[in-house]
Amino acid sequence: MKYHILEKKNLDCFIKNLLKKMKVVAPVERGSGNYSFAEISSADEIKCDYVPTILPPKKYFMPQREKIMDFKEDGDVKESCYIDGEKIAVFGVHTCDLSGLQCLNIVFNDKPVDHNFLMRKENLFMIGLECNKYCDEYASCALVNAHLPNGGYDLFLTDIGDKFVINVNTQDGEDFVESIKLPQASAKDMSELEKIREEKKKIFKNEIDVEPSKIPQIFEKSYNSKVWEEVANKCLSCGNCTNVCPTCYCFDMEDTLNLDLKSGERIRKWDSCQFETFARVAGGENFREERSMRQRHRVYRKFKFPVDKFNRFFCTGCGRCSRTCMAGINLKEILVKLAEEVKF
Amino acid sequence: MAKNKISEKPKVAFFDFACCEGCQLQIANLGETLLDVLGAVDVVEFREVMSEKWDKDYDVVFIEGSIGDKHAEERLKKIRERAKVLVAYGSCAALGGVNGMKNGFEIDEIRRYVYGDKYSYFDSKPTKAVDQVVKVDYYIYGCPVYLPEVVEVIKCILKGVAYSVPDKPVCAECKLNENVCLYDKGVVCLGPWTKAGCNSWCTSNGNICYGCRGLVSNPAKNQANDIIKKYNVNEKIKVLGEELMKKKIEMYNKAKEVK
Repeated sequence: MKYHILEKKNLDCFIKNLLKKMKVVAPVERGSGNYSFAEISSADEIKCDYVPTILPPKKYFMPQREKIMDFKEDGDVKESCYIDGEKIAVFGVHTCDLSGLQCLNIVFNDKPVDHNFLMRKENLFMIGLECNKYCDEYASCALVNAHLPNGGYDLFLTDIGDKFVINVNTQDGEDFVESIKLPQASAKDMSELEKIREEKKKIFKNEIDVEPSKIPQIFEKSYNSKVWEEVANKCLSCGNCTNVCPTCYCFDMEDTLNLDLKSGERIRKWDSCQFETFARVAGGENFREERSMRQRHRVYRKFKFPVDKFNRFFCTGCGRCSRTCMAGINLKEILVKLAEEVKF
Repeated sequence: MAKNKISEKPKVAFFDFACCEGCQLQIANLGETLLDVLGAVDVVEFREVMSEKWDKDYDVVFIEGSIGDKHAEERLKKIRERAKVLVAYGSCAALGGVNGMKNGFEIDEIRRYVYGDKYSYFDSKPTKAVDQVVKVDYYIYGCPVYLPEVVEVIKCILKGVAYSVPDKPVCAECKLNENVCLYDKGVVCLGPWTKAGCNSWCTSNGNICYGCRGLVSNPAKNQANDIIKKYNVNEKIKVLGEELMKKKIEMYNKAKEVK
């Protein structure tokens, strides 16, 4: 494990050097307590102390709308696939979002692999940023153990006062810090980092008082819980909770023709299991017609199905789904109620 | 739709009823795409841009405006008889639109208010959307219509396939555009109940959603108070709450109550 030091006063220099090599995106302020990852040209624009952005950085791995194919109907159909992978540095990614990207990575590497995702991933330079305290009351990162760095980055920054300790995790990361000659971290710096981790143990505690190891058992017994009806009475089916989720990856394909009616393009765009049309099939049958079924499905997709398939929660505790829900549906409350119901 | 197969270069006409004609004007705002559209269709009647009339059948008619009196109903039925494909164009035609606000009054009361003491010379009926009078083949919502959607619908018509209007709330598109939620700004927005398809045109440009595209087919009915509770919107909204949201929703959706 290699650790380097970046003086905070040199952050702009760090960013400027990155900019010589690639586009840089980072959290910026959007007003009314909102932040988003956006392209920057200097360190002044970055908000290092931010609440999770409106959309997670998955938008760089799997854009909201992504052209994946051109086609032309000219006797037979001719297709040309379209894979884009712009070189981008994503600066200031919290551990919850790094964890989310690891989840997506598992899914898109499952066969058949998703080449568009992998190509983009190949070209993204990930720079994590540690949270030394909670962002707000919606977060539940300690519950799912996503409050500490656990890989998935090239470089990872921890604020230790007037400097950042940088953990170097990849060859690309090492090449970059060496190209700008960042000094190695001293023993004193490392003990500062240690101190912060110790402090975090006091701050970050399981937010809902339900043992994570018990969660799979809870969900085995909660399929017919009345909690889903309660949630359904609030749900607007707007899809906000899944659109902002760092691990939701459902998409729809849309073929659009050009006005010549012979050529066109195929677009992949984010879809949501919360939309009434999501599980409707030809003939009009709808497998998840009720809001209660759709909300249940969403939560099972975080705490049950991926545990069965990938042995991992697909919730990173970022709190976005609860933060963004206009009607106030709160994931932590759902988990607590389910646990109470099955008396765990 | 096979029996209504339209010609290779379809004869297209535009007609306006009770409306501001702003949706027709949007056609002129197509810019360069207009040239491509005009290459694909043959416009034979369009009062806003040409004086020629057409005396044969139409392949495609775009009906703008809502239907507010018996003359309009008769005229619309005659147009329908001559048209293979009929498009309800813009929210007045597709929904009844703002003209539907008339339906909140007694009809004679509103006639007297508009036409004075000679009101009995002027017929007026509760506002109807086009599909409350004749069969509609394609719907284009919006006040005004959203041009990328208009072009999509035109392509579907030319290809002879259905166009499905997105049946999810405006929030779905607004969130993908990563806008700050209007409720976070303390403003009431009708996005959660209104059909998407406009790519959150208004909210992406700093405005609220007025609900011009009409309600999704299964709108969440009792959630206004949950929203008000979470955002503590402001004193006035807290008092009026659900009632105010209902009134805002009626601005575009009142006509659909007509049986």
